[in-house]
Amino acid sequence: MWSWSFTWSILPQILEAMKTTILATIVGFAFALVGGLVLALGRRAKNRAISLGTAGIVEFVRSTPLLVQLYFLFYGFPAIGISLSPFSAGVLGLGIHYSAYLSEVYRSGIDAVPRGQWEASKALNFSKGTMWRRIILPQAIRPVIPVLGNYLIVMFKETPVLSAITLVEMLLTAKMIGAESFRYLEAFTLVGILFLILSYGSSLLIRRLELKWSRS
Amino acid sequence: MEFVKDAPIVRYRKVSKSFGDRPILKEINLDIAPGEKIAVIGPSGSGKTTLARLLMTLEEPTSGTIEVDGNQLWHKTVQGKLVRADEKHLHSIRGKIGMVFQHFNLFPHMSILRNVTEAPIHVLGLDKEEAVERAVSMLKKVGLADKLDQYPAQLSGGQKQRVAIARALVMRPKVMLFDEVTSALDPELVGEVLTVIREIAEEGEMAMLLITHEMEFARDVADRIIFTDGGRIVEQGTPEQIFYRPQSPRLITFLSRFRAG
Repeated sequence: MWSWSFTWSILPQILEAMKTTILATIVGFAFALVGGLVLALGRRAKNRAISLGTAGIVEFVRSTPLLVQLYFLFYGFPAIGISLSPFSAGVLGLGIHYSAYLSEVYRSGIDAVPRGQWEASKALNFSKGTMWRRIILPQAIRPVIPVLGNYLIVMFKETPVLSAITLVEMLLTAKMIGAESFRYLEAFTLVGILFLILSYGSSLLIRRLELKWSRS
Repeated sequence: MEFVKDAPIVRYRKVSKSFGDRPILKEINLDIAPGEKIAVIGPSGSGKTTLARLLMTLEEPTSGTIEVDGNQLWHKTVQGKLVRADEKHLHSIRGKIGMVFQHFNLFPHMSILRNVTEAPIHVLGLDKEEAVERAVSMLKKVGLADKLDQYPAQLSGGQKQRVAIARALVMRPKVMLFDEVTSALDPELVGEVLTVIREIAEEGEMAMLLITHEMEFARDVADRIIFTDGGRIVEQGTPEQIFYRPQSPRLITFLSRFRAG
């Protein structure tokens, strides 16, 4: 049966693991935000080798499971002389995987910027870089912020997959507690509740940001 | 040529443009003198907008050359041969041309002031103070100095178009293209925009290519009127000649439709 005293005793250990989960999410997502933008821009490159190459990478990453990619990075890379810690491999895997998805989000935002904005930028003789930084991207990104936020939450909920490459995040911690004490109920319930609180909390926060930005 | 006194600032030579296999412009020859005001009239689809878009480098000619201030716009000479120029070359020439669009194309995420200071700061490299000074004096000229902190969405169509004019003028181009700039406006807002353009035209130094359906305005402002139809310049002359002594049957038909409508 449920034991409150056991629940309280394992809480600190799970909260400690939560830090790893959150950190992996933040670093992985930051990587994906930048990587996704690079892929979105690469896909639009005039050079066909670059644009086709980028499209190929995106398709490849989106069509293979995250778990396979993580195994490849963690267990496969040492064979070619690159050994990554569970955290590095995990963050890299999440980052690459979500870069591919976010590149599509950026692309939809960029496609939605009216043609007149590009033409006005050209007529004012902006360089390509200035045009992207100051005219196109600010208009492309703002409307897709809710979608980006949604992917942040999806990625957060997918972090337990990192336990498969031995990263001691919340799920693996709960499993280890269970294996030691033969009490699984409390540990997994706590993990579930913590995920719920954090996901729901972030979605509320994102909705508030969205409202604030749509007003200004 | 009768109208060109100084060396032309713009020269179109046998310029053609097709979209797919649909010809839009056919072997256009046209010189624009420094400071000259040219109005381009003609039925829609006659190629008049494309004429401006080629000069602004928004479309690339299918054949022919355009010279701006003595330099090839779309081409470079490499070992005595004309080859397609790269973006760097286009960038170096494009600054002499400015354009105002039918749909304004203001930057919606920037205040009116920033719309006008953005290019002077990031293209001309002016420091912020100088850019603001220039922008404010230009916005004053178009009568919008009280809207600096507002955003495009808060302005009427006529006000937006006046901001767009200030934004183009602040770059001090040698040739300014006005592409049907009143066509998207409610009738009661057309006047304020045309008044601003008339004032700019009177200052004189800048050449202007005005693509327009406003015949009265064309007559008042232009030194020369060009009538295009079917991708060619069918007739050109002073406003007097074009409106009161048109020669070609197509121009006569076009003008009569206008008078009737």
